[in-house]
Amino acid sequence: MKLIKSIFPLILAILWTYALDHNWGTLPPLGKLLSPFHGFWVNAEQPETEEASEETLLIPGLKEPVQVIYDEMAVPHVFAKNDHDLFLAQGYLTAKDRLWQMEFQTHFAGGRISEIVGEKGLGSDQFQRRMGSVYGAENSYQGMKEDPKAALALNAYSDGVNAYISGLSERELPLEYKLLNYKPEPWTPIKSALFLKNMSFVLASGTDDLKMTNILRKYGKAIAEDLFPNYPFQESPIIPVGTLLDFKPVPIPAGPNDFVGLGSAMSTPEKDPNIGSNNWAVSGNKTVSGLPILANDPHLTLSLPSIWYQMQLVAPGVNVYGSTMPGTPNVIIGFNKNIAWGVTNVGSDVLDWYQVKFKDASKREYWHGGQWKKTTLRIEKFKIRGGKDFVDTVFFTHHGPVVYLSHETPLRSNIPVGHALRWIAHDKSQELTTFYKLNRASDYESYQEALRYYSAPAQNFIFASNQGDIALWVNGKFPLKAKLQGKYLLDGTDPAADWTGFIPQEHNPHVKNPVRGFVSSANQSSTDPSYPYYMGWQYAPSERGTRINERLSSMQKITMDSLRGLQNDNFNLRARKLLPLLMSFVKSPKPSQGVAINTLKSWNLQNSSESIGATIFENWVLNLQAALWDDEFDYDAKIPMNRPSMDRTMHLIEFEPQAIWWDNTATKQKKETIGDIIEGTFGATLDSLTKQHGPIGPEWAWYQHKQTGIRHLIPGMDALSRLHIPMGGGGTIVNATTTKTGPSWRMIVELSKEGTPRAYGVYPGGQSGNPGSAHYDDLIDTWAKGELRSLLYLENPNQKSSRVRKKIILSTK
Amino acid sequence: MHQSLSLSFRSAIVLLMLVLGILVELYLPWYVMGISFAILTYLLSVNPPQSFKLGFIAGFLIWALAGFWMNYQHPSGLPVRMAHVFPLGGNVFGLYVVTGLLGGLTGGFWAWAGSKLRQK
Repeated sequence: MKLIKSIFPLILAILWTYALDHNWGTLPPLGKLLSPFHGFWVNAEQPETEEASEETLLIPGLKEPVQVIYDEMAVPHVFAKNDHDLFLAQGYLTAKDRLWQMEFQTHFAGGRISEIVGEKGLGSDQFQRRMGSVYGAENSYQGMKEDPKAALALNAYSDGVNAYISGLSERELPLEYKLLNYKPEPWTPIKSALFLKNMSFVLASGTDDLKMTNILRKYGKAIAEDLFPNYPFQESPIIPVGTLLDFKPVPIPAGPNDFVGLGSAMSTPEKDPNIGSNNWAVSGNKTVSGLPILANDPHLTLSLPSIWYQMQLVAPGVNVYGSTMPGTPNVIIGFNKNIAWGVTNVGSDVLDWYQVKFKDASKREYWHGGQWKKTTLRIEKFKIRGGKDFVDTVFFTHHGPVVYLSHETPLRSNIPVGHALRWIAHDKSQELTTFYKLNRASDYESYQEALRYYSAPAQNFIFASNQGDIALWVNGKFPLKAKLQGKYLLDGTDPAADWTGFIPQEHNPHVKNPVRGFVSSANQSSTDPSYPYYMGWQYAPSERGTRINERLSSMQKITMDSLRGLQNDNFNLRARKLLPLLMSFVKSPKPSQGVAINTLKSWNLQNSSESIGATIFENWVLNLQAALWDDEFDYDAKIPMNRPSMDRTMHLIEFEPQAIWWDNTATKQKKETIGDIIEGTFGATLDSLTKQHGPIGPEWAWYQHKQTGIRHLIPGMDALSRLHIPMGGGGTIVNATTTKTGPSWRMIVELSKEGTPRAYGVYPGGQSGNPGSAHYDDLIDTWAKGELRSLLYLENPNQKSSRVRKKIILSTK
Repeated sequence: MHQSLSLSFRSAIVLLMLVLGILVELYLPWYVMGISFAILTYLLSVNPPQSFKLGFIAGFLIWALAGFWMNYQHPSGLPVRMAHVFPLGGNVFGLYVVTGLLGGLTGGFWAWAGSKLRQK
């Protein structure tokens, strides 16, 4: 008894210590985390002073010393003596600022989140791997390695990241490791491939085939094609109408036999449709300086740490500045002395589903082309934190992985069960070669050469050079398809439904120096229907592209600042056409709706942050779409269907007031008219806004309602996020800032014949991934105001500039 | 057995704990501070109720003041953010108190454990 008494406090102390050294569910290890000697307190970084400082860091693996100059935005300008050292330094410096993010994002891409968060990550992990993320990254890595320069870049980058990791003590670990209580593992080149392939997930994994097949089964082909046309009524395509073909098209395959798939079911949310981008380049004859200006703003899910990391990379043969993606070598969007380039996503259909007919329950054989063919198996092993390993078997046909078997429940509602996936993201590819060459490109020819290597996710590569050229290539690897092949689910037994080849790269839609004096893209249709190949039936809504083309056509004497104005353009093109149409149906408003009606009538059609008209209009459109279509296209959560586009809806409002779709099939007694639906949703919109925000007033301001926020990558980590950002814009607005998505990097570059290029840029975040650094979110306010920062392009490491802060020599000894 | 300690002896123990605690915290894992207190109270055969108090005071002071010192040395927005994570409504003073309490309890439990082991 006495012994127990005397060791009781010891047991208590040990238990207490154990409890505080481990995480419990989402509760972090409190002792470790709060210790001022080990925990988050150590991650605080003092803002640097204006005085320049210099230090030397020893980095194993370098061939020669590398000079790194940080400017006041904390952008590293890297001066190396060879490519190897340049990429090693890029890996090292990126890891120094963004290690946790790089590792977390590649863990996510590789389906390994459950190693960090346990069982609850398994659904997402299994989905990633079933979709073939690791399979695709492995194939892609094989392709990248074939180019010795890309292989060198990948390996050196990886060595640089590892040099940083191996020099980290536990107390120096980035904050998120302390919060989630784990440690970084060594970096490998395949992680860079995983990161790049994940961009296909973000940008080119949208798939409606299942929903379209459900519509086909319910309403038949005529209605499906009428409500889901293959080219919008309102469009301003990327490649100007009338651009002549400079190639002789290859023959188009005959296409699959008629097929109506089984369709299928289930329901959960999916990819954000607001992810898109803008870019344009104007030729010198439209600018004040007489030189081309290029602008780009890729719209992605806004997150902290920032998606992008700015760098200047200098070595013999290259001096490039721009945005890099933490996890991959090279600059992705940027400029050098001679050229500037940017990208927006192409909405082409590069993902198809094939209904599989297995021979029996063993799934070892499937029917194709009149014979039984063997499936291949891939074993995926999941390590689950705090749990047993989980082993999953994925069956592959020659098309690709069978993502979900017939009896399984998919993670997302748009993924069919019992279908094999054919996706461009699985193919061997050489994207790194494209970026390596673009970083070093000096004219149109070298830009064009760089693009040959690119496969996915397909991008609208915009270009300007100081020789005065502007150009745009809709670029990537596009399957050569029959018209509409892959709009609906395909028959996996029919060889005519297979992808049999690709559109020759030199036949990809492109335009150089068009008469109109500018090139542009905003994810809309790549071409008009006269283009000889079928690339897809559905692109982003045309409003952003149309507005940009309207403005650029009328703008003269363009400056970088006037283009900054265009990036921030809040004009609601949809409302210009739609609002008067809608208002004409509001025939008997209630007195209580008077203020709202006057607000709409006097609205200047700008989705500015304070606008109340924008709030009413945007919500009215949403409610109208739901009231018009959901009775026919969302009547059963188990049969997910597409909703006709807003473009098609506007056509219906304008020209088909008698269409059967206006009737609400849920009300059996009454036959609703177009007027009932439009006027009814107007009232419902005002009622729900009043319920949310009180009587109409400043609380109804667009930014208050929209609530733009930039969230930390750990879900729910609001303390490390920036919420309630006062911004206007919207999904179909050039300033495409929505609740969770928006311009993730804004760049404007004016090239110069002899001198250095002038450039401005900003992204919603900061260079450092450390929430304890002043550079974690120091660019957000500039971004939110619609302003840009001047980008410092240095010619040599000794160049004098008042913006230079810290200088680091990376040295082997 | 339960001799009551003079004020100066108690202050000397706390002082010793402060020096020892800071030293081990600089080089070793966070909980070694507690273990070092246990060794101290064991060797000096401090009486158990006193040892908890002294360990708590030393642990509290080390952690709260070190937290304060870190923030003073490297002023940043991080403590405010963390005071939202925890959730203390962004109150950094509250964060010092919580930090101090964790250090204090760690110090207190271990100091108590050390003295109890001695007291057979």
